[in-house]
Amino acid sequence: MSFALQNSLYPANHKTIFVLDHTPYFGISCENPIEFDFLKTRGPGFIPMTPISKTLWTSSVISAIEYCRIVWDLFPQGKLVRFIASDTVAHILNTWSPTQQNLTHIMNGMSLIGIPPPPPPIRSVNTQLDHTVLHGLRAAIEALSEPTDIQMQHTKNSQDGPKILNNTRVICITSARDNESMKRLEDIFLTVLNQQNKIASTSDKLLPVHHCHLVIINTFPVNIESQVNNHHPKHLSQILTTEVHSIKAPQIPHKLSSLILEHYDLASTTVIGIPMKEEQNASSSANYDVEIFHASSAHTAILKGNASDSAAIRTIKDGMEYETTTLKWCTPRGVTGSELQNCTSMHRITPVDVNSRPSLCLINFLLNGRSVMLEMPRKAGGKITSHLLAAHGGEIFIHTLCTARSVLEDPPSISEGCGGRVTDYRITDFGLLIKQNTLLPIKTKPSKEETEEPIEKMKTRLNRLTRYWPLTISSTLIFNLKNYFDPLPTLITKDKLTDEEVFQCKKVIYNLISLESKMEPLHPANTGQRVKGQKREEQYKAMWNELETLVKNNLHSENHRSIYTCLLECHKFNFEDDKISDKVELDEALHQLDNIGPGKPDQEIPRASVIRATTDSPMSPPPLTSIAPPLSRTLTNRGGGIYNTQRTLLEIFTLQEKVKSRTEFVGRQTDSLTYKLYSNLKTEDRGPREMEIE
Amino acid sequence: MPTIILLDVSLSMTKPVQIEDSLETVTRKQLAEVGICAFLDHLSIHSKLEFISLMAFSSLYEERCPFTRDYNVIKAELKNIEDYDKTCIETALHGVNQMVLGEWGNNTACQVLLVTDGNTGLGSNSLKESLATLSQRSAKLPFPVPFSFPGKLHIVCLTTPSDSNFVKSKPLYQRLIDLTGSDGSILIPDNLHSESSVIGLFQKLADDMYTTFKGTLKCGNMESKIVLSPAPVPYTQVTDFESTTTIISDLIEVCGFISVSDVGSPMAVSRHLILPASSPVKAASPKKQEKPSGELEIIDDDATDEARIPSFCVLLHGAIRVENVAALVNIGENWFGFVYSWADSKKKSNLMLTILTPGSDAIPWLGDLNHLGSADSFSPEQVGGFPVKPLEKRSYSQNGVVWIKQAGLQSDIQKILRHARKLPEKTQQFYKELNRLRKAAISLGFLDLLNGLAYIFEQECLQLPGTAHPDCALQLQHAAEVLRKKQNPDIKYVVMPLKTNYNSS
Repeated sequence: MSFALQNSLYPANHKTIFVLDHTPYFGISCENPIEFDFLKTRGPGFIPMTPISKTLWTSSVISAIEYCRIVWDLFPQGKLVRFIASDTVAHILNTWSPTQQNLTHIMNGMSLIGIPPPPPPIRSVNTQLDHTVLHGLRAAIEALSEPTDIQMQHTKNSQDGPKILNNTRVICITSARDNESMKRLEDIFLTVLNQQNKIASTSDKLLPVHHCHLVIINTFPVNIESQVNNHHPKHLSQILTTEVHSIKAPQIPHKLSSLILEHYDLASTTVIGIPMKEEQNASSSANYDVEIFHASSAHTAILKGNASDSAAIRTIKDGMEYETTTLKWCTPRGVTGSELQNCTSMHRITPVDVNSRPSLCLINFLLNGRSVMLEMPRKAGGKITSHLLAAHGGEIFIHTLCTARSVLEDPPSISEGCGGRVTDYRITDFGLLIKQNTLLPIKTKPSKEETEEPIEKMKTRLNRLTRYWPLTISSTLIFNLKNYFDPLPTLITKDKLTDEEVFQCKKVIYNLISLESKMEPLHPANTGQRVKGQKREEQYKAMWNELETLVKNNLHSENHRSIYTCLLECHKFNFEDDKISDKVELDEALHQLDNIGPGKPDQEIPRASVIRATTDSPMSPPPLTSIAPPLSRTLTNRGGGIYNTQRTLLEIFTLQEKVKSRTEFVGRQTDSLTYKLYSNLKTEDRGPREMEIE
Repeated sequence: MPTIILLDVSLSMTKPVQIEDSLETVTRKQLAEVGICAFLDHLSIHSKLEFISLMAFSSLYEERCPFTRDYNVIKAELKNIEDYDKTCIETALHGVNQMVLGEWGNNTACQVLLVTDGNTGLGSNSLKESLATLSQRSAKLPFPVPFSFPGKLHIVCLTTPSDSNFVKSKPLYQRLIDLTGSDGSILIPDNLHSESSVIGLFQKLADDMYTTFKGTLKCGNMESKIVLSPAPVPYTQVTDFESTTTIISDLIEVCGFISVSDVGSPMAVSRHLILPASSPVKAASPKKQEKPSGELEIIDDDATDEARIPSFCVLLHGAIRVENVAALVNIGENWFGFVYSWADSKKKSNLMLTILTPGSDAIPWLGDLNHLGSADSFSPEQVGGFPVKPLEKRSYSQNGVVWIKQAGLQSDIQKILRHARKLPEKTQQFYKELNRLRKAAISLGFLDLLNGLAYIFEQECLQLPGTAHPDCALQLQHAAEVLRKKQNPDIKYVVMPLKTNYNSS
């Protein structure tokens, strides 16, 4: 595995521990008094107050907390930070548990620890209490070998695969006398680290530390010159890299800001030209800048692209050691959220100066649901919109927009492809299907032992709702005659039906029967639609057949079945007839047509003439053979083949139906080869009925 | 998928090759030219919408043709390339990164076709040396591979398999391909001494490089055969502790619909046009023509025929466009995408597939994508709404205390004083801000601030104008007293307003 890949697979920033020096020395002042401008304007009677200055402890806590604020804003999961304060013992403020990875927990812990203890009286020579940061470093090393939840999970998963690497980082804020004592500190750290690894290698609960990055921040009040020199990262051993930064206490936050960019591969963006109303002068607005941090990959596209363009927007941040990318606020036009932007990456952001007025202004603007485009100028002239800032669910993201050329240049329109010339798609009906199947987050109860995810249920549901769903208006009749069928088409697709709903569906069927008996033509509710010059009988026949298809495809429960039975009881279906005319996919139709040709003795020889169901006498048995489909109908139906997948079921069903409903001619039931027809005519009883009924 | 043809023009490419059954000798560069032309000819028939560019390299590199769909430009340019010094692949690959990033950005999958002779260069610029010093690169200029874009590397060596240089270079090439993280290939002609063999090699390569994606778009029982353009490539995702490569399934199944404004603009791994593919009906058409029936021939009108057969794709496109929704689709094991209507220009509208990063947590504000469902199937208390909010608020919506800069602390104190001057109306706000500041000061071990604030309050009392409400002085005095109580500062203690005659009602 390559070095780079290893580093990105097992980043040191997964586990960070802050070791804060809580020894009496840190109780001293930074000697950097805070100025209160608002007190200067007071009248002559005002007695100046004693200057207030942060202690070294306060400075280091504030800086470390700020580091965590940025980390946890940008990476809510998977980037863990622990705090250990060290005086005579190590105070461990939190564990690797995700529940303790938040600022509130740390702040509460800090308040319990309180300020550093007072220095021991000089006279007491033999105090048992040894104030040193080493206690904390020792505890930190032990903590590094404790696996995190994620590490445990991956160790379990990769038992036979490659072992996970426990890469870690310790940031220690302390104060050393000189280079020598700093060197000693590093050496002790390495020794303890090696010891701990030995212990870990024999334990199945601990992980050996594969690498630790020790960052030591040596700090001191502003009025002191330190004897400790900075040193760049150096590999003390294969498992330990150390670096030392010697800085005055008020500078710690700045140092950590630069370091955090390295540690988490972040970048800084300065949004310039944000128009803001002045507090004093609400009518005018001035432009402000806001600096934000985010993952550096948000800038990969623009910074790696045109070199001269990117050089123009990169500047070293004032008073800092890092670069910031300057992008211009672009006053949003319209609602940008209403379309899907071509976004190549998205990352959480956090403002660098979270409580400043310009930052708050930008944040509130975004949190209120509006979004902002950022643009960069181009050397060649003009500018391009490169990023989008937007809040989603209370979190603000920077979206990198595609600024490059698209390979999808000049694509063909959908109307030029297959199905593009069809103009009567059931768009409105599909719109209803969309509304019925709009997704929402489901709070699943973990106690429920249901293995099926809601999204899988959705697929099943869509399957059920589309058992019979003609694509075009011209391929359906019943969906165009909503006024006669509602609410049956909606109800029938439900997985369960109440008795009331069954009744409603049956009512629809009964109503149709009565309309048919009155020979009333069926008019679509929407008069704008063109009605085909269909004969009334044909219309009814097609209607019944389609209704049968719809109901038969939706036999989801016993109640559904009862509707189907009702339909069959109410209307005599001519299934043999349907076989070719309505239910066959084009391929199959063609196949069958091929078979009909001469020389192919076929079971389905077309009958010479057709007697329609409505004109047949009620007692006539259904015709045995099928009719050749009218050509025009094949043409209109063949495209709809997509949803007609129930052919085999139909065949089974019609077979059963044949067996059930058609009793053998009485004459053939006897052994004799001849039988007298209309034998009961002679008798008093004239009802042919008797013969039909068993 | 755009392709860069990276042609080695070092001196070794001029080495002659004896052509079989002829007295003719050609140089390897000439063979390369013939091969590349065959490659382009193949594309102009089968994939004419692809962008191709040409870059020549030796110890330096030069972009000879920018990305174009006009392959004749490249063919013409091939004839104008002179011979230069030695091979330096690393430099050329830097050039490739530069060129692709400039044109397509870091997100478009591209292919690199390196045409060379099996020599990997000499000395410090050789590939051997480049790979040996791989880990010693600075962060500013890392090794060019893996590419800065999703890239595949194919290497064509115009040499014989037994060539000693090639035997040595082959593992180096393989290493380079492995570094890209995608499956590339190393190819050599079956017979170097035959032009047709070289042509065949390039044609086959073109065929392999541009496989089309054919699949099915399904929504319940409705479905359409589709082609995705450009074809999706396997996606490798590196997260902490995991590196996984996923391949898109050929079944793209609609799970439901979400309004476009709820979807937001999530990060896309790639975007693809969904084109309805010819239905299998077309395969049946020869049969139709055999039919003696005259009337049936009406439907044998090829192109127009397909456009007139209803396609689910077109229905879906029409409806999601009208409803302004996107369809959430499942495109693989725990992998999702969105299908929506997209228009390049005002007129031409298309069905587009956006592929999200693998995993059901690809979009934080939609929650776990596996936990999305229809409101009809669940009880009302189980159904939430968009956006899904994280359990914890981010620092910028928490009103936390940041006293890194003096201004932060000053404005917090000023806020309290502003409220103080408006007591008793602002009693609530005054104590709220006071407690916030007190709690933070205790946590941060900034006890001097509490004393300082008490002092400021006392001074404030003395400075109060005659018109001030009497409660003002009482509350400030009370607050100052509480702040001064140094013993055992406890953050749980809340400073309460002093009960006075003025606020007891």
